[in-house]
Amino acid sequence: MSSRPRRTALRATEASERQVTGPEAAAYLSVPISETEREEAVALIRWFRRRYPTGADRLAYVRRAYRRWTMARNQ
Amino acid sequence: MQGTDFDELAFFRALEGCGARALLIGRRALVVLGLPVLTADYDFWLHIDDIETFNQAATPFGLAPTHQPDEARRRGRYVLENDEHVDVLVARSVPTIDGEPVTFADLWDRRQATGLTDAVHVQLPSLADLILTKRFASRPKDLEDIRLLEILRQEDGL
Repeated sequence: MSSRPRRTALRATEASERQVTGPEAAAYLSVPISETEREEAVALIRWFRRRYPTGADRLAYVRRAYRRWTMARNQ
Repeated sequence: MQGTDFDELAFFRALEGCGARALLIGRRALVVLGLPVLTADYDFWLHIDDIETFNQAATPFGLAPTHQPDEARRRGRYVLENDEHVDVLVARSVPTIDGEPVTFADLWDRRQATGLTDAVHVQLPSLADLILTKRFASRPKDLEDIRLLEILRQEDGL
């Protein structure tokens, strides 16, 4: 990964790791879950549970996925 | 054992077998429940009296504690690490971002044993309690996780 995308990735990570304030959290969580958001989440959960039926399968999948993600990020 | 050789299922089997009162929290708990989210580490909330037992179970996996048990009790948390990273919370109580106290004892009473396989189980907080633990740090990714958990909670029979 060249330096510019790497900086962007670092900034994105920092943004997702920062601690929000109580009012910020309340504001975010007060937004109702839309039907589209719900349907997409339910479809994803159903796929994941069908494809990886046991907890062990799911944990192993996430280890593989995280390894792929870090390799891609470091290239 | 290095993290690259880490046998995840054997690790959970050892934790179950050692008898330590340990709840899997954090994103790996979401994964076990069926939410495909990425994470680098493991997060446990452990009974404050069970640090030695927990550490002993983790030793064969090459996981070394960053602090001795007494210091970990004072700090309220520590890490077990090699190539893997296991965050261990040992405080008796942790406040949410709104100041609501959440106690280990209450979560332990309401825990749910969840099978990773037919033979290996892990202890998880109830869905409502897992949502509460997501309000400890309240990072943007925790808030996203809360929304996913709320959908899971509302969608009975998924």
